[in-house]
Amino acid sequence: MYPGARLPALRDISLDIPEGQFYAVVGPNQAGKSTLAYAMAGYIPHFYRGRLEGKVTVAGLDTRATPLHELVLTAGLIFQNPFNQISGTKFTVREEIAFGLENLGMPRGEMRTRVDETMELVGINHLADRSPLALSGGEMQRVAIASILAMKPKVLILDEPTSQLDPIGSREVFSAVRSLISSEKMTVVMIEHKLEWVAVFADYVIAMVDGQILANGSPSSVLTLDTLQMAGAGQTRYTRAARRARDLGSWPDQHELPVTLEEAEEAFRRLKTGA
Amino acid sequence: MAEAFSLYTGQESLIHKLHPLTKLTLAAFMLVGSLALPGPWPTYILFIAVLVPLALLARVFPRLLSLAWRVVLPFAISVFLIQGFLWPGGTPLVAIGPLSLKREGLLFAVTSVGRILMVVTSFLWFALTTRPDLLMTSLVQRGLPSNLAYIIVATIQIIPRFQQRASTILDAQRARGLETGGNLLQRARGVLPLVVPLILSSLVDVEERALAVEARAFSHPGKKTSFIEIAESGWEPLLRWVVIIAIAALIGLSIWLRTL
Repeated sequence: MYPGARLPALRDISLDIPEGQFYAVVGPNQAGKSTLAYAMAGYIPHFYRGRLEGKVTVAGLDTRATPLHELVLTAGLIFQNPFNQISGTKFTVREEIAFGLENLGMPRGEMRTRVDETMELVGINHLADRSPLALSGGEMQRVAIASILAMKPKVLILDEPTSQLDPIGSREVFSAVRSLISSEKMTVVMIEHKLEWVAVFADYVIAMVDGQILANGSPSSVLTLDTLQMAGAGQTRYTRAARRARDLGSWPDQHELPVTLEEAEEAFRRLKTGA
Repeated sequence: MAEAFSLYTGQESLIHKLHPLTKLTLAAFMLVGSLALPGPWPTYILFIAVLVPLALLARVFPRLLSLAWRVVLPFAISVFLIQGFLWPGGTPLVAIGPLSLKREGLLFAVTSVGRILMVVTSFLWFALTTRPDLLMTSLVQRGLPSNLAYIIVATIQIIPRFQQRASTILDAQRARGLETGGNLLQRARGVLPLVVPLILSSLVDVEERALAVEARAFSHPGKKTSFIEIAESGWEPLLRWVVIIAIAALIGLSIWLRTL
């Protein structure tokens, strides 16, 4: 419960996120998605004051009992606005990525290797000597991700990382994150409104409404829920097309609603052949 | 996107390659020299014999002059007029109606202009040849608290962003019909709709920025390291000590001359 708030931002949350999976959190505004992210990263209760009931554990660490500067090494948090995540004190991207490592007191040689590895991983080698303040939104967001990854957290939490990016920037961020899961076995929790991307990239989807978890499961099972759409979380354009077809009576009730382009193509083809 | 706000020119020169602290002590030497030496002329000698060669060596002399005269010239004109004519008593040189130009007043004006010239140009010389982040890194290595260093460098770098945002808000409010021209009262009325969103949006930014810096383990206890290595020639520490001793000698000399 935030200070000054009348109602808690989250209620009855019980969630278990296994290692090495890509979890997307979807839901309408004010559903408590960011609060969930801040609680997982330990910013609640360490940064935001208020009341936290219950227990949050990240990779075995109790967030209440562990200081924030240790938690950030376990769970890295990425924010919406890429500009605000740039430290503002560095002249090149390379130095920017090293900022966290400097704070940890890592020796210079090790830092160099780590920075180079991380830039390779996120695919921003070509930006190394540019000024971090003079990049496009997508580039800046990937620099922000690299800056966090350089500290090798086990879990990456992203709070609407693509909301200020154009479609190309969003794609860059999504595929960078996806490749981290396959190559680094990272656990990712991403709050995201772009459901078409979520459907393609995420392993699991958590739907939140009014501070509670509405559903938790595979993208195709969660994103097609009627309750989620009615709560104002939207739906993918493929689901919408199929739902419209269902409302018009041309979509059999027993057919599942599609969430990706491929599923939609397949489903409409079956519809056409009458299978 | 906004570039960094800094006078640093990023050229290649012997001076640019010097350690920031070496340049800091040299600038301090010129500053102290101009203030500590008595009489009008030593500051000009210092300017010609030390600052000009250093600026030429750094290849920033033209830029330095073009920046400096904007500050020094208005000051010089007003000091010459005010001190020259309004000096109480003194020896009159030329009389223009009821006013007369005084010798003592002119000498005082020459001294003040020399000092302001040295203060401005030694600062500019330092700012034009030193990367602010390297300066801060070297100061942190010498024990400056890193929080303080962060605040200073981040502030310098954030200024253009702030200007950019101010002009965005200005455009937005104009589009809604805000009057920004006209007489003083109309302009004053226009300030509030600009300042309020600027401050509020900056406060929102501050929160996110604080979180983001925290996410980079900023509050991690223990010694921080530095990614960039600040190159330094072997003779530079010696040079610094020589300059520091010279500064101390100048201060000593000035005190001694005053007690005579």
